[in-house]
Amino acid sequence: MSGDNDPAGMTRRQLIRHGAWFGAAVVLTVAGGEVISHVAGSAGAAQQATRPALRFAQISDSHIGFNGPANPNVADTFNHAIGQINGLGYTPDFVIHTGDLTHLATPDQFDQVKQMLTGLNTPRVFTVPGEHDSTDDAGQKYRQVFGAGTRGDGWYSFDIAGVHLIGLVNTLNMQKLGHLGTDQLQFIEKDVAGLSSDTPIVVFSHIPLFAMYPDWGWGTDDATQALSYLKRFSSVTCLNGHVHQLFSKTEGNVRFYSGTTTAYPLPTPGQGPAPKPVTLPAGKLREALGVREVSYTKGQQALALKDQKLT
Amino acid sequence: MKIVNLALRIAIGASLAASGVIHAYLYIHGYRDIPTVGPAFLLQGSVFCALAVLVLAGGPAWLQLVAVVGATGSLAAFILSRTGGFFGFTETGWQPAPYAAITVVAELLTLLLVGTTALRRRPRASASTSRSSSPGRPR
Repeated sequence: MSGDNDPAGMTRRQLIRHGAWFGAAVVLTVAGGEVISHVAGSAGAAQQATRPALRFAQISDSHIGFNGPANPNVADTFNHAIGQINGLGYTPDFVIHTGDLTHLATPDQFDQVKQMLTGLNTPRVFTVPGEHDSTDDAGQKYRQVFGAGTRGDGWYSFDIAGVHLIGLVNTLNMQKLGHLGTDQLQFIEKDVAGLSSDTPIVVFSHIPLFAMYPDWGWGTDDATQALSYLKRFSSVTCLNGHVHQLFSKTEGNVRFYSGTTTAYPLPTPGQGPAPKPVTLPAGKLREALGVREVSYTKGQQALALKDQKLT
Repeated sequence: MKIVNLALRIAIGASLAASGVIHAYLYIHGYRDIPTVGPAFLLQGSVFCALAVLVLAGGPAWLQLVAVVGATGSLAAFILSRTGGFFGFTETGWQPAPYAAITVVAELLTLLLVGTTALRRRPRASASTSRSSSPGRPR
């Protein structure tokens, strides 16, 4: 029996017993994971069977015209993002660009980005301006190129596949934080007044409608008022750009999703005194850039999001 | 004593199962679409359900230690998601209700119950140590 003892004081039998428990733990964990994944997959397959009612893509912060070490060729990475959306395997119902299409809002940069967006394989492209698109003229040049069919300073709404989408402009008349203004708040209130509470709402803007990091202006000072009009809806999804990084937050019935950029990364909130472009080591830039797929299936409360890094 | 130990084991198993099942439920119903957080929910759900079964079946003490590590990690992730963010994901207050509150209570219960079990084991462990170190004990 002395052969059953090991120097640490555990008998061979005990070792085998503990090994058996460990094996059981691993087997049960893997089996449990498989069962959960299978159930989730079945739920997903059921959604697939009834093709999503709406599928669209989000791109943001292309900053066409930017030239710096953080990305010496923003046109190339933006083209790559467009190619990635065209290669999704289906035609998105539309594509949204959540602002900072250009870096300095020059006519040439607007022409270039408009031309590049025509390369998207989608019936429609919707945009909202970023603060870089309205540096010196309160967004006039932006509206000349992208403002057709919009109201006020460029906001609008539309319905597709039972989903109500609202494009907001919170980059004009801003001090430090984003700002919607009285006219736009009134528009939102009237716009949703006639909708039933089970209508899925998607709101997109450049600056976040939640206080992501107010010290850097990453928030909208009168967003609370806007969101109060959306409180009664069971599903509200807010998409934004501006922060050049993925971030998500849930507040009651509202889910906020910050999208990444196709140009250059910014630091995470609080890292450094200001959000300056971050220069990554060679070969790492595309990992920080990306595009987003969004889909809505009837009967599902939340929209499904899938973020892809630039390949 | 055996009944108390059995009751503790059942309670630990139940608290682990509650937390695991809710994480699995949330994974299936939407959280799987959240980068990093989704897979973390899947892992938490499957590990906690496995631990619940094994603790109920009378597994060794190290399983309960794993449960403590897991529950502490889950609570830390919960706090991070309400403060600085957990892998870029934040939530507010007790959303999603009532699941967030139930999992926090379940994980705190896990810590409390495993702690109680450990305290009850200690005197016996030291007694058994003194017995095993006594000279002339046959091996």
